[in-house]
Amino acid sequence: MSRDAILGRVREALSVKTDAHVREVAKKSSHSLPVLANGPDGRTQAVKEFLPFVGESLEDHIAAFKVLSDKLQTEFIVVPTIDSARQTLDELRQKHQWERVGIHDHELVQSCVDQLPVEFLNTSSNYDAHALEKCDVGISGCDALIAQTASALVTNHSAGGRALSVLPPHHVVVADASQMVTTMADGFAIIREKHHEKWPSFISFITGPSRTADIERVLVLGAHGPKKLTIIMISE
Amino acid sequence: MSQSTNPTSQFQTDANRVTADVDRRSFLRSSLRGYQTTRNATQDRFLNYESARIAAGDAKWEAIENLDVYLAQFADKLEARGATVHWCSDSEEAREAILDIIKQHDAKSVIKSKCMTTEEIHLNDLLEKEGFEVVESDLGEFIVQLRDEAPYHFVFPAMHLKKEEINTLFQEKLKSINTDDPEELTMVAREVLRQKYLSADIGISGANFGVAETGMISITENEGNARLTTSLPKVHIALMGIEKIIPRLEDLALMLPMLATAGTGQHLTCYNSQLGGPRQDDEIDGPVEMHVVLLDNHRTRLLADPEQRDALRCIRCGACLNVCPIFKNVGGHTYGTTYQGPIGSVITPHLRGLKDWKHLSHSSSLCGACSETCPVKIDLHHHLLRNRRDAAGKGQGGLAEKTLMLGFTIVMRRPWLYRLTGRLGKLGHVLTKPIHGTRIDPFYAWKKTRDLDDPAKQSFKQYWKSRK
Ligand code: SF4
Repeated sequence: MSRDAILGRVREALSVKTDAHVREVAKKSSHSLPVLANGPDGRTQAVKEFLPFVGESLEDHIAAFKVLSDKLQTEFIVVPTIDSARQTLDELRQKHQWERVGIHDHELVQSCVDQLPVEFLNTSSNYDAHALEKCDVGISGCDALIAQTASALVTNHSAGGRALSVLPPHHVVVADASQMVTTMADGFAIIREKHHEKWPSFISFITGPSRTADIERVLVLGAHGPKKLTIIMISE
Repeated sequence: MSQSTNPTSQFQTDANRVTADVDRRSFLRSSLRGYQTTRNATQDRFLNYESARIAAGDAKWEAIENLDVYLAQFADKLEARGATVHWCSDSEEAREAILDIIKQHDAKSVIKSKCMTTEEIHLNDLLEKEGFEVVESDLGEFIVQLRDEAPYHFVFPAMHLKKEEINTLFQEKLKSINTDDPEELTMVAREVLRQKYLSADIGISGANFGVAETGMISITENEGNARLTTSLPKVHIALMGIEKIIPRLEDLALMLPMLATAGTGQHLTCYNSQLGGPRQDDEIDGPVEMHVVLLDNHRTRLLADPEQRDALRCIRCGACLNVCPIFKNVGGHTYGTTYQGPIGSVITPHLRGLKDWKHLSHSSSLCGACSETCPVKIDLHHHLLRNRRDAAGKGQGGLAEKTLMLGFTIVMRRPWLYRLTGRLGKLGHVLTKPIHGTRIDPFYAWKKTRDLDDPAKQSFKQYWKSRK
């Protein structure tokens, strides 16, 4: 088992240049197409220019996020203020009869749940996974909302660790309108800036509640992760 | 799957059996039609899907053509964050590396999320033989594991099974309730597996991409089982082929939507997670150890082929299987390989030897649907032709093929002989008509499933002459 041996074999294999014809096929197409510069910049640009268009303004982004959320069966709720977010959470509590709620040390989360009459489990200090599994819901923050894909981008810092957003049967994300960005590349840029070279060990794009279609292609929600995903965005 | 040791005759026997099963085939076709409809709708949302393919293909070209640099960078970055990287030349080394880690931790139970590479190295067999409980957590994988079968399709492992069959299976193996409702069946599996996550000591996953720049693996999934597998057990082992590298983190913003669109027709899969290292000092949970096992297993042999290294750019979306007329007719198990369909037919002869697997190059109608659909523009059907050429060049065509080709050359070089054969052919056709499709027909093997039209009254040559 040796790194040098394998890297040596790779180098040797690459000493013969790729067949020019084969390399060309990957670039060719029957139509004349806009092709961007080779390399990383071209690819980042490709995400903006070739992938689905979701507009430029916040209103456009919210509208696009809503359309995809409906398709994904994500519950996407836009509320004006923190106060109304509190109210929304309390309505959800009554509707789904929450008793135990998983949360973490996160400013926005804390201010939204401070009046919920439930038992809390905070994952920011040592917590027991079995107890978290018994929670009715996990409420977390996020790093960004991605308009192009209707995803919530989380890391273990913004979402209370790796498990809070996947172990309980319902995941609620609270976010601020300023967190809405266009593409996944914009999302990565935010994390890049926030953590610089000290990357979190867990980053995830959450796009809808957990699902499977492994049995006869019939869509079933809540395969292993949450059966419900609610995203509450505060617009003011 | 038949237990025949010779892959070529196993392919033939299984293909014959499956093609005769009309019911199963139409079941497969209808589910693949569903895939095509969703995928078309998702693809239509792109501003320019064709250009996106070229850009995605470019990311993988850059990675593969500079694999030495990016692999080293990937490993260094991961190690700097406290992960351990294991470099394994073949299946045996990889199995040993994984077994060692498990033994060091005195582990009892192992939970796995979907990883075709573990199928490639036959990991489950070994772990079970060593007395560990190994549970597949992806629903489709869980089902085929209970049936003691290989996955049927590397993206949809249980696509060949009907809900009634899964009901019977669950009742038998899990003592579950009698139901053939997909939702209830899924919930049965959910309950069984929940407890396993919480009690497993080791979580094993694959990786869809390895990001060189930041030293992270990226896992794509819908169910959440990979997230649980990599969150709860105290040790996380990821097994990854060396070709999974991509250069930069931002490349994922392009690759992940492409993978989802081509793979399942979703615009993005439910969870796309990047994992770089075990739990860090300022983090509150996650495994205390992360091991990344890098596997060569003859990938460098494929890399050394200047034409076919192209195939190492594959992102395993499975689209080429979904559109392949051969796959639709012979089904997944017939291939007898870890990777089925066109991509499997291209790479298996390189990974496991041309001699035993060259027949796969013929499991193609050369229609080119695979190359057309591939999100990174791999020239699949031409690679199948290249494999045929290489097999013939190495004198592996077999005696029958050689004799046939020799005869063909002799005839084609002599116009008088060509004319004569044409006439004899016509005569033969008339004479064998009464025995068509019966065993005494000399061309029985070919004609038993085919009708042969009567030849035209006039040959092309005659027609051409009369025209002038
Ligand atoms: S060869 Fe292309 S279409 Fe086939 S699985 Fe790989 S990436 Fe997908």
